[in-house]
Amino acid sequence: MANLIDELRVKIIDTLNLEDIVPDDMGEDDQLVGGELGLDSIDVLELVMMIEKDYSVRIDNKELGAKVFANLRALAEYIQEKSPGLSN
Amino acid sequence: MTKARVYITGTGLITPVARGVLETKTSIMNGIRGIGPVTLFPVPRDRSLPVGEIHESFEADGSPRTHQLALIAAEEAMDDSKDPPDAIVIGGTTGGMALTETYLKKGDTNRELFKYHSTGSVAEYLALKLKCKGPVITVSTACSSGTAAIKIALEMLREGKAKNVLVGGADSLCRLTYYGFNALQLIDPAGARPLDINRRGMTVSEGAGMLFLEGKETAPDNAMAEILGAGLSCDAYHPSSPDPEGTGALAAMRAAIKDGCISTSEIDYVNLHGTGTIDNDLSEARALYTLFAEDKPLLSSVKGAFGHSLAAAGAIEAVISAMAISGNFVPGNVGCNTPDPELRLNPVIEPIERDIQTVLSNSFGFGGNNAAVVIGKPVEEKAPIASHTPFPLTVVGCACITGAGKTRITEKKVSEGRSCKGILPDREVSKDLSPKTVRRLKRLSRLVLSLAISAHKDSGVSDDPNSLFFGTGWGPLSETYDFLTKLYESEEHFTSPTDFVGSVHNAPAGVTAIQFRSTGPNITTTGGDYSFEQSLMAANLLTKGRDDLILIVGADESHEMLSSLFDDSVSGDQTLSDGGGALCLRRAANSSGLRIYPSFFEYSKDNPSIISSLIDDLGGPDRIKNKYGALLAGIPGSHRERGRDQLSQFLEGSGFEGPVIDYRRLTGEFASASAVATVLAVCFAREGKIPEALCGSKSSSLNGKGILIIGLGKFVTAVEVIT
Repeated sequence: MANLIDELRVKIIDTLNLEDIVPDDMGEDDQLVGGELGLDSIDVLELVMMIEKDYSVRIDNKELGAKVFANLRALAEYIQEKSPGLSN
Repeated sequence: MTKARVYITGTGLITPVARGVLETKTSIMNGIRGIGPVTLFPVPRDRSLPVGEIHESFEADGSPRTHQLALIAAEEAMDDSKDPPDAIVIGGTTGGMALTETYLKKGDTNRELFKYHSTGSVAEYLALKLKCKGPVITVSTACSSGTAAIKIALEMLREGKAKNVLVGGADSLCRLTYYGFNALQLIDPAGARPLDINRRGMTVSEGAGMLFLEGKETAPDNAMAEILGAGLSCDAYHPSSPDPEGTGALAAMRAAIKDGCISTSEIDYVNLHGTGTIDNDLSEARALYTLFAEDKPLLSSVKGAFGHSLAAAGAIEAVISAMAISGNFVPGNVGCNTPDPELRLNPVIEPIERDIQTVLSNSFGFGGNNAAVVIGKPVEEKAPIASHTPFPLTVVGCACITGAGKTRITEKKVSEGRSCKGILPDREVSKDLSPKTVRRLKRLSRLVLSLAISAHKDSGVSDDPNSLFFGTGWGPLSETYDFLTKLYESEEHFTSPTDFVGSVHNAPAGVTAIQFRSTGPNITTTGGDYSFEQSLMAANLLTKGRDDLILIVGADESHEMLSSLFDDSVSGDQTLSDGGGALCLRRAANSSGLRIYPSFFEYSKDNPSIISSLIDDLGGPDRIKNKYGALLAGIPGSHRERGRDQLSQFLEGSGFEGPVIDYRRLTGEFASASAVATVLAVCFAREGKIPEALCGSKSSSLNGKGILIIGLGKFVTAVEVIT
């Protein structure tokens, strides 16, 4: 799980072109959207695409998105649970 | 002086529910829903979503679907008119994209195949087919384009710039919008259900709506309805989501009502934007609640039946609104079974027959672009509206970017007669922009934002611009290319929602509006090498207030692959170039500042007297010689021969003997090079002289005279910078 979280930190920075952020800036329980990172709905959808492409996990509605993108930990847990390529 | 009233005397429609205005009424009364599976292009099974597709076969003249749809609707609207329209104003977002993306997918790079790519080529195609001499304007403000186009046409007619105008909107289905809206999770898998409690999104569709408008003092016998007023606003809130409180939507509706000199209580029916997305419907409902409270008129959205045809939607719905007035009915809100109680709206579910005098029709789009139009029953006796000549547009600030650098460096190099061709690196363009602001922005948006900020800084004024006008020949090429590349690489499975939002032509103007909190009109125009001139015309028509600060930007980005594929002038030059120019303007009574006038815009095809018209419109040879100390001539590389002929004719006909600067030799070839030329003209006029290196043996002093900037080639344009 810790590895997945670290991997997600890098992927999020890369996908969203967060030039002024380093992986350590992103705490596991920090609010992802609307927090200090300045992410909004378009960023969430960009991450939805990345997650489907890289982990084959689909997040296809707003309600689910709000839950899954609460913080890094929630996102990693959801991916861990749903990804066919990751074992528990 | 009184303003002309503006009447609808012809209409044309082609949509997924019917072809033709009469047939559309029958479909509406029968509750026909034109939504079904996409057949225009193959889609992966797990990406199949309903669309509003038109199942008709079109004339195969090699032009794209959008062009064909536009022509079908335009010919119907012009059916009773013997003469060509004086002007054409078209809203569009996709242009020839449906063909372009197919050729790009196949890897076809024959430039001839892309000649109809540009969004502006639809209006030009209509001008060619209908023999219109122009002006020809293309408005690209995403989903509000069709209604914004009506506002521009309305002002042209009121001001007497044209006696009649063909106005409308057209867009065809294409992969870009189909997959783009899907990536934003804005598509309802069950088809759009506007205002319904279970709604989940919109349905992307296609179509064209056209109106033939005539400016008259009294209603002509064949008037179907009158355009009473229209209003524009910008949310300045988010690139793709509406302001949740509907503040911008409310501002546009209020502006339209005020412009129409009516009271809110006179509105009998509201044709809603009503796309069916959760947020859009909620935002519009909140705006309506503020406007009408509990006393709402009849209202419905037709997008559950017609889908959302983007730029065409506003024009199609203006036609439906006129039909409702002339045919005494209200369309039903197809797709809505249980109205969402949170919206506090009570839509007309089934079509009803009713005497309708006045309709308000709404259109809102990406970039927070809002437009609303008020249409009424034509009444014979009406009080005339007084016309006031607005103060001239006065330049208070300017900025430009070329391959050489920003304003000061460009001015210096040009002054030495040296070329500014090339591409300024992205890091230089974005040097003064914060990483947070630009992290999602690619080249064109960065260019525009940088230009806007620099021009505003140059003005030294403390207030922010209220309205924004942006002209671009090709729009955001990087986002368009990256979106399609990602889509094709993943076999139509993945793409970037950020690139989709950034790919719309008005994205840079939307971002700039957010930067300055500019909530007034926000118009993006596109028409190849004459896009900046179109934005100047739009600004001149849509800004009347004395105190408002106005920002006008013309810019284009170069793209390694697409620029030379789309633009023959670019492919003919060895150096790839880009950049743009921006002006901060204010209307001022005193004549101490430099004034700017967009004075002429005509289509040169089948227009042999175009240069003598230009000379006449500028006041004849004597005025030209007395008023201008220099001429900046824009001759796009692909029209060199024709442009040179036109220039010779102008010099011969006007007797102008001052310095003539062929500025594309200095700026390089890109569609909005004229924006750079205009900024250079302002710099020269401020100095009172033309740099000697550009004058040859002629006098460099302007002696208090102004500068004329003319565009040549396919269109002939004139912009005056007067001291």
